[in-house]
Amino acid sequence: MSWFFKSKQVNLAILVASFMMGFVPYFLEVPQVYGFANTLTMVSAVVGQFAIVIAIYSQYRRSLRFISERRKGWVYNIYLLVLMSVMILMGFLVGEHHASYMWLVNSIVAPCSSVVYGILAFYMFSAGARAFRARSLKAALLIIAGITVLLYQAPLTGAYFPGISPYAVFLTEKVGMSLNRMFSIAIITGAIMLNVRMLTGRELAFMGFVGEEGS
Amino acid sequence: MGKEDFNLLKWMATYDKRWTYLLLFILVLLPMIYPIGMPISVSELTKEYYEQLETLEEGDIVLDSWSTEYSGYMELKPGMISSHKYFIKNGIKLFICLGHPEGLALVQALLDEELKSYMEKYDYTYGEDYIILGTALPNQAATLAMATDFQGSVKVDWKGDSIQGTFLDRIETGADIDMISDYTTGAGNPGLINHIVLTFGTPMIQNQIGVSLPGSLANKDAGLITGLLASTRGGSELELLVNEPGPGLIAMDAFTLGHYLLIIFIVIGNIGYFGWAKRVSEERERTTIR
Repeated sequence: MSWFFKSKQVNLAILVASFMMGFVPYFLEVPQVYGFANTLTMVSAVVGQFAIVIAIYSQYRRSLRFISERRKGWVYNIYLLVLMSVMILMGFLVGEHHASYMWLVNSIVAPCSSVVYGILAFYMFSAGARAFRARSLKAALLIIAGITVLLYQAPLTGAYFPGISPYAVFLTEKVGMSLNRMFSIAIITGAIMLNVRMLTGRELAFMGFVGEEGS
Repeated sequence: MGKEDFNLLKWMATYDKRWTYLLLFILVLLPMIYPIGMPISVSELTKEYYEQLETLEEGDIVLDSWSTEYSGYMELKPGMISSHKYFIKNGIKLFICLGHPEGLALVQALLDEELKSYMEKYDYTYGEDYIILGTALPNQAATLAMATDFQGSVKVDWKGDSIQGTFLDRIETGADIDMISDYTTGAGNPGLINHIVLTFGTPMIQNQIGVSLPGSLANKDAGLITGLLASTRGGSELELLVNEPGPGLIAMDAFTLGHYLLIIFIVIGNIGYFGWAKRVSEERERTTIR
């Protein structure tokens, strides 16, 4: 029976069938297929949650190696493991609504999360100030655009110089948005190409068939 | 060996970056302690968001999606507070769905601290006016299940109490939700758009952090989002529109000064670059060629 599951053709057939189940409901209204597609989506999400177990295992393994080898920052790994273990144990033992679990969330997770995010402002500020150098015409144009948007973003400017708004809005909502769309289209096009290669059997490494793909 | 003479242009090109940290810290801290109250303008984006809020009527049901971690809440806080004040004041029914484990901390920070007195003032009570479903929207599959068969997929609130007999009895599918109000720090939960907005045409408003704004602007331009509140700035503008001054307006002084300081440092850096760094590098090139 193992030949069946190891067969490239069988795996490819399952892949194509699953793809069609998810793809068809976007264009044709077939309730049975729609229901099956919903179930398939839920199954994939549930299976995806098992990745958390692997993530926890990997983090323990990595941190324990850091600690045993006394690598740089090994003390922080002790702190990480202790907190991670306490959070997991409390979550399983008393549940997420218990006062002690909420204390951990409110007193450790929330402040640490805020501090990490807040510190970014200083790095971004410093990086922005040093990166904007008019080394070329393109860089100069970038500086002009950047300063226009920065001036607009400062609330006081809009109150006294509303004339800057059309220029800044043009830069953010037209130039910025079009570049963002270009980025999205590039990703989607790449994803479509990859999927076509997978469905036609040219890209099968993700199924474990290394080196057997066509060109 | 004598001490090298101070060269202002050289300093402008090579200043210690810790000066920027120090000055930014001071400029953020001082207006927080001694607010200046600088005037601010209200952008079209925020006006449109507010117009969307105004389309809601008393008793309407809003899916309140908190797809943010605690750090993002700091940036979205003014928008979250002022939006919720509007909901509370106008008797809008909310069912709150968390999209992130840190959302647990938000319940305490927002509902039990920031909005507690406001909810008491308008007699806004749990079960009757709002319900917390907990981490009910962690992914697309959960959103899909909720959108296609609400009663079949959601039976209890975040503490395990039954939701039967509450205003949620009125919801069968995504079509029965009057609006989605999403607070997110990135792509958020794409399922909201894929399985509710696109399938049922439910209007969706969003409060987004600054760095993820271009993506949300594209969604708004495509009509997938009907209202967009941009970061702390948008939140503070909404505070003005709903006439509920809060942390956003207090932060705007620091926001303005911080932006101006960055512009000043960009100018300083460029003066230093043309006055010293570029000249030094050209001289070095000439010496090498000789």
